[in-house]
Amino acid sequence: MGRWFLVRLLWLLVTLVGVTFVTFAVLDRAPIDRAELEAEKARSVDAYVDSQHRDESIQRLRVKLGMVDPVTGEALPVGERYWAWLRNAVMLRFAGPGEDHDALWRRLGAALPVTMLLGGLSLLIAVLGGTLLGVWLGRRAGQRSERFWSSVMLVAIGVPEFLFATLLLLAFSVVWLQWFPASGLRSSGAEQWMFVWQVGDFIWHLTLPVLVVSIGPLVMVTRFVRDAVARACAAPFVISMQALGVEDRVMDRRLFRHGSVPVATLAGGLLPMLVSGSIVVENLFALDGLGHLAFRAVLDQDQAVVMALVVLTSLVTLVSLLVSDLLHRAVDARVRLSE
Amino acid sequence: MSGAARQQRPAGDGDARRGLVRRWLPWTCLGLLLFVGLFAPLIANDVPLIAKVDGQFSFPAFADLVGEAPPGPDDLSWKRWWSRLPRDGEDWAWMPPRPYGPMETEASRFYERPSFLHPLGNDDTGRDVLARLIHGARTAVMLGLPSVLLAGVIGTLLGAWAALSRGLVDVIVQRLIELFLCFPTLLFLLFASAFFGTSTGALITVMVLRFWISFARIVRGEMLSLRERDYVLVAQGLGVSTWRLLTRHLVPQLVSSIGVTAAFCMAAAIVAESTLSFLGVGPMAESSWGTMLRQGSEQAVFGAWHLWFFPAFAIVAVVLSCHVLADRLRSAATV
Repeated sequence: MGRWFLVRLLWLLVTLVGVTFVTFAVLDRAPIDRAELEAEKARSVDAYVDSQHRDESIQRLRVKLGMVDPVTGEALPVGERYWAWLRNAVMLRFAGPGEDHDALWRRLGAALPVTMLLGGLSLLIAVLGGTLLGVWLGRRAGQRSERFWSSVMLVAIGVPEFLFATLLLLAFSVVWLQWFPASGLRSSGAEQWMFVWQVGDFIWHLTLPVLVVSIGPLVMVTRFVRDAVARACAAPFVISMQALGVEDRVMDRRLFRHGSVPVATLAGGLLPMLVSGSIVVENLFALDGLGHLAFRAVLDQDQAVVMALVVLTSLVTLVSLLVSDLLHRAVDARVRLSE
Repeated sequence: MSGAARQQRPAGDGDARRGLVRRWLPWTCLGLLLFVGLFAPLIANDVPLIAKVDGQFSFPAFADLVGEAPPGPDDLSWKRWWSRLPRDGEDWAWMPPRPYGPMETEASRFYERPSFLHPLGNDDTGRDVLARLIHGARTAVMLGLPSVLLAGVIGTLLGAWAALSRGLVDVIVQRLIELFLCFPTLLFLLFASAFFGTSTGALITVMVLRFWISFARIVRGEMLSLRERDYVLVAQGLGVSTWRLLTRHLVPQLVSSIGVTAAFCMAAAIVAESTLSFLGVGPMAESSWGTMLRQGSEQAVFGAWHLWFFPAFAIVAVVLSCHVLADRLRSAATV
């Protein structure tokens, strides 16, 4: 067990380095010169850049951004610059050369809670609701009600997040029924309200976004659990329990364990879904979370933020894969014993 | 409780007919998408398919299909030239079946509801919604088809190679799969479309990087059990080359699982493309279902339901067809 864990941890680090290196190399291939961009920006805000000295200042910017060798003035190879970035990243300094590390962390710190709340609530709803629904459907495999709900779920996966969000916005917040707010996390002036009202206001604002983000993972969990429970229902132990006249309530509890095995293995795969969901939803509902930050960074072509976000998301994905493997070992004894 | 076995009810007459519709609807949907997507400029365009100008033949719509349509004659646009053609003149033109371009505005038809002339109505600048929808299919197909095909070939080959040779190759492929599994796809697509401008190549590359692992995983898993079968042993004993073993004996067995994966990936590619356009960063974002949906939903307050309904319907129909097909192929494969 201990050795297995160590090997996995090592692979996690190797994969993380691989992911960041590929990202770094890809961003490096982009036909965009940060220094030119900065010079352009400086000109647009009327900081006068003499055309004679423009090349010189661009060169100076390149040195400052770590793109060229300060002595010879030649472009540094990707590997060398990645190494410089990695050394900084290990010290948790993700901002570009000559930029404020604390400012970047403040931006990330402000955005993180929103996304964690959104993702956490959605994950909770998806796992709890999906398991319950899956057990319920799995016990009715082949019946009319199961077929109906299964086709509903098939339709539900066919609806992309942005489309679902748009339809919900149109139906419940903009055009048809104006029940929910279309943007933000709190009403204006909510700071002076009583605490209970503030919480209520918060939930009111979060309803639609959480609904959108959770629907994909929910359907995924439900289908996995349904199939696992349907398989378990055909197993001899269930038939003998039935023959012994075990109550439905007790049966459900037994089958729940069978349903929870796929949930444990699935938890890691749900994270990427949440990431893409939060990007779409945060932009559509104007929530200041990581998804919004990523979108801004992409529009501003801010490589430092992009790299920080890639590290963050892939780290979370990798850790959740590891956790789901651990959970799988905890829930399913066969996996432990097979080693 | 009926257990796991799905009970098949005896199919009555009505069931058979409904089954026929059910069987063919997704295929029709996807076939229509591919056809319309590949030949959009020939189906809906404001330039003629064939035109005879001063005794010279030209094919502007076909030129549009492969590149850009030439400018119209006499310093007019093709559409105006066509509408002014004398009935009994030497010159003539044959317009596409839907003689409206995706960018062609018509000032008198802002927010026009669906009508006989414009079955899906017109948008806020008088553009024909049907023509835009047709060209949106082109965007989806032009991104989705190459990435799925490329990913399918790469993934199948790598997966098969890993399973057949085992050893170091297998380990490397498995690690690569794990590595690419961690890439946040939408984030990466966003970067690709922002950092590489409007080139579709970068987007296709990212999608291939994301999709090949799905093929490789499936193919590797199935190949590991297939290679132990007796007939493979017999073929190997008869001295069949590895390539021939792969193409004649092994890969044909995997067609249905590869098909399932391809259908899922196609759906994912179309969703990704329309999501990017919806967020306003995609390439060719002008004619895409995602763009239409965003613009339509912004104008929904003014009661213009047809601007968001039809693109939404198109996206759901296509993605659903892919999922239904994948579902069906999978259950056909497991039975």
